[in-house]
Amino acid sequence: MPMKKAPGEEPNEALTVTPPKKWAAGVPAVAHALEYSLEETSVRRTGETLLTMNQVGGIDCPGCAWADPSPGDRHRNEYCENGAKHINDEATSRRIGADFFREHTVSELGRRSDKWLNQQGRLTEPMVKRPGSDSYEPISWHDAFDLLASELTSLDSPDEAVFYTSGRASNEAAFVLQLFARALGTNNLPDCSNMCHESSGFALHETLGTGKGTVSLDDLHHADLIFVVGQNPGTNHPRQLSALEEAKRNGARIIAVNPLPEAGLLRFKNPQKPSGVIGKGTQIADRFLHIRNGGDLALFQGINRLLLEAEDSRPGEVLARDFIESDTKGFEEFAAHARTIEWNDILAATGLGREEIEQVRDEVMGSQRVIVCWAMGITQHKHAVPTIREIVNFLLLRGNVGRAGTGACPVRGHSNVQGDRTMGIWEQMPDDFLDSLQEEFGFDPPRAHGLDSVNTIRAMREGRIKFFIALAGNFVRAAPDSEVTEEAMRTCRLTAHISTKLNRSHTVCGETALILPTLGRTEVDIQADGEQFVTVENSMSEVHTTQGRLKPASPLLLSEISILCRLARRTLDGTADIPWEEFEADYGAIRDHISHIVPGLHDFNRRVTRPGGIQLPNAVNEGVYHNDVGKALFTANDFAMLQAPEGHLLLQTLRSHDQWNTVPYTSNDRYRGIHGSRRVVLVNPEDVAALGLSAGQHVDLVSVWRDDPDRRAEDFRVVPYPTTRGCAAAYYPETNVLVPLDSVADKSNQPTSKAIVVRLEPVASPASVSTG
Amino acid sequence: MFSVEETIEVAVPVSAAYNQWTQFKSFPRFMTVVKKVEQVRPALLSWTLGVGPVHREFQAEIVEQEPDSHLTWQSLERHFVHQGEVLFRPTATGDTAAGTTGGTAAGTAGGVADGTTGGAKDRTTVTVRIEVDSPGATALLGGLPELVGRVVQRELRHFKAYIEGLGAESGAWRGTIRGGRVRPEDPKPQRSRVPHWPVG
Repeated sequence: MPMKKAPGEEPNEALTVTPPKKWAAGVPAVAHALEYSLEETSVRRTGETLLTMNQVGGIDCPGCAWADPSPGDRHRNEYCENGAKHINDEATSRRIGADFFREHTVSELGRRSDKWLNQQGRLTEPMVKRPGSDSYEPISWHDAFDLLASELTSLDSPDEAVFYTSGRASNEAAFVLQLFARALGTNNLPDCSNMCHESSGFALHETLGTGKGTVSLDDLHHADLIFVVGQNPGTNHPRQLSALEEAKRNGARIIAVNPLPEAGLLRFKNPQKPSGVIGKGTQIADRFLHIRNGGDLALFQGINRLLLEAEDSRPGEVLARDFIESDTKGFEEFAAHARTIEWNDILAATGLGREEIEQVRDEVMGSQRVIVCWAMGITQHKHAVPTIREIVNFLLLRGNVGRAGTGACPVRGHSNVQGDRTMGIWEQMPDDFLDSLQEEFGFDPPRAHGLDSVNTIRAMREGRIKFFIALAGNFVRAAPDSEVTEEAMRTCRLTAHISTKLNRSHTVCGETALILPTLGRTEVDIQADGEQFVTVENSMSEVHTTQGRLKPASPLLLSEISILCRLARRTLDGTADIPWEEFEADYGAIRDHISHIVPGLHDFNRRVTRPGGIQLPNAVNEGVYHNDVGKALFTANDFAMLQAPEGHLLLQTLRSHDQWNTVPYTSNDRYRGIHGSRRVVLVNPEDVAALGLSAGQHVDLVSVWRDDPDRRAEDFRVVPYPTTRGCAAAYYPETNVLVPLDSVADKSNQPTSKAIVVRLEPVASPASVSTG
Repeated sequence: MFSVEETIEVAVPVSAAYNQWTQFKSFPRFMTVVKKVEQVRPALLSWTLGVGPVHREFQAEIVEQEPDSHLTWQSLERHFVHQGEVLFRPTATGDTAAGTTGGTAAGTAGGVADGTTGGAKDRTTVTVRIEVDSPGATALLGGLPELVGRVVQRELRHFKAYIEGLGAESGAWRGTIRGGRVRPEDPKPQRSRVPHWPVG
């Protein structure tokens, strides 16, 4: 197979700004997906990946966690533009090995952009950076495991080790990782959930007794009214647009709530349908609420207050009294508190007019089945947990949980982020799970809670962490406060990454650093017992198989499970009665043990191979609430409003359309009309004028936080954009440097990446931006 | 709008008849028009009906369900809106076997004796009532009420043959549904049936 050549140097592109798009997908989505795929790999491999993607027995798209339609209802092309790009980014024909690392020192790689690092291709052999060296050099797998095991066994305490998991990891790999960590003696299991939906988990668990969403695709199809709040499905979950399109065809109305009028919220041209190719497509949002960053708590408090007042006027007609009586607790306290929220505060926090909120109330009262979908626009705020609790209050008021077409729908990003948590990747797993581990494997798991992502960085900074290993992901770019995080990571004695491609985390090394190259999801995985498959769980709790089809990028690659099992064997050396060899040879053996430990996955091996896999039950839909009170819980949530001081803005970080998590594929964001540069800050035109700035001006973004040092993201260009007044937006990971480590959501400890107080400091070399 | 009501007597106890009826996924085994049933959740079903090359899929919500008594449903589609109920009653002592009876509100009555004889012990009357609110389809197909009635009657006979042939139900779901919501069978259900820890 010919190896495609990676770009040698960073291209010097110029920023061009065009008007934001008013619709998403359509023919351009297909063209862009194919263009990127064919740049990365061949026509044959593109066909092999795309035509098996999200099909029964095929490859689950790692791009996002959106659910697949029932097996009989799937399209032949059941993927989106971003999924196609993502999967062929992994299936790339580009390779990097020892030669590459001889040519590029770690310091040099550290100066490269995220995009350039990703473009170099697939990692093909294990590499080590020795103490004092500035270069990676080859190492055999045998020696790599020896090095890792010797470091782990020399720790003063297992709690000096941290095991990070990205949501790309399969259920089986995640289960093995947590088993290894706990057998070693630590619960230090941070994961990327800590940075995306941790707030949802805490709020839903407290109020409904489940950490997961309660809806299925069928519910979305039959809802009367769907809220899409703090979420940009056009870029982050494009296949959700198909579900919203079907819901609209069935008569649903959609209310989008966002500080940015994203293209995917406005209109969808489904490229699978003639009307999406040559027609106008489907209008998605019937109503768009142009809300201030973080105003969602106030919005739902306002709607809830209006519903309570409507019930006062028409007793028995507005609220689901029987349901509230039979299934909930805390209504009276909630209602009394809700009536005290002042309208002036609600309007100031949301930036909306009262009439707009009253119109929403009317839509709600005219709807029998309501769903609320949300993502990181909600979860990455200081008051994220109260906001989601208030959304639950809203759903409970009219009985919009537990029935067809109703419920809570936190939309997750990483394809198996939910499954990894189901497998026990959490630093605070409850005792019943740990008891099951003990019973199954005969060792005593540690009971003290471990470290999440933010606390891992804090502990590193304090010198308490010596060993860091990441199962996939790009920790230093996903984490907040980039400079602090990188400095913390460099305090470790050993850092190791199980990776498919190069990223910045490989350049931020402990004294010793290892790159452990692994099979991608697109690749055939052959072990002693033959060809293997793994399983994943999507946002709607469906657990199903995924099996790669391509020849591995290198014969030296080990699967994630192989790497973890071999490391565990070498480290634990028979101290626990865990059949690591059997696990590596036959992943079915791992699933057998999972079926004894994880509720709902009984008979895992047999059931998961059925078309469509296993639908994990959701207790809420069976009238059961596994929380402390055994009922759905109304909560009284203190009003909170975000306000930047005079001369400052509230910045949210976000993805571009040509980006997957921390990996930008290009410098373009065509839906928002940004081309050729990612170093832009989107600012409301009135704010641009009020701050004395001009379009295209060069500015530094400086975040203001109580702890002192200004955090600075240098040299961004001002782009006037229809964000809400007082609110701005810029791309991550470039702006993660601005998110203070200690700026976290209450309870969930999730970084507040959607509300950073910044000032824009003009810098030299102002230039006007070209418009087209 | 039109409505259809069909009844059949089956020679099994109420609990057996009811339990068998809750096994929706098995309907295609003995019914001819029902091609596939998926139970998304206890209260949410996906149906595929077919006659010859014509297939139609729809989803329905079970609104009420009471063991050994009844269930009611409503369709979730915008087109061909229908709702209905299935009632299970022990056949009263002294009743004569009725076989299947039925008719539409339009007056197409007519019982069809099936030749079953015997006392009322361990026998159950199953009644299906369907209301269809689909002006377009009704206008297009003048004989639609009668057609629906005949189909329901025939499928009830298949049900009768199946459950009487088995002699006992092949499975059961004994939960209760009220207002489209499943009511827990046990006020203190097993906490460990599903993963209940927070998911980030």
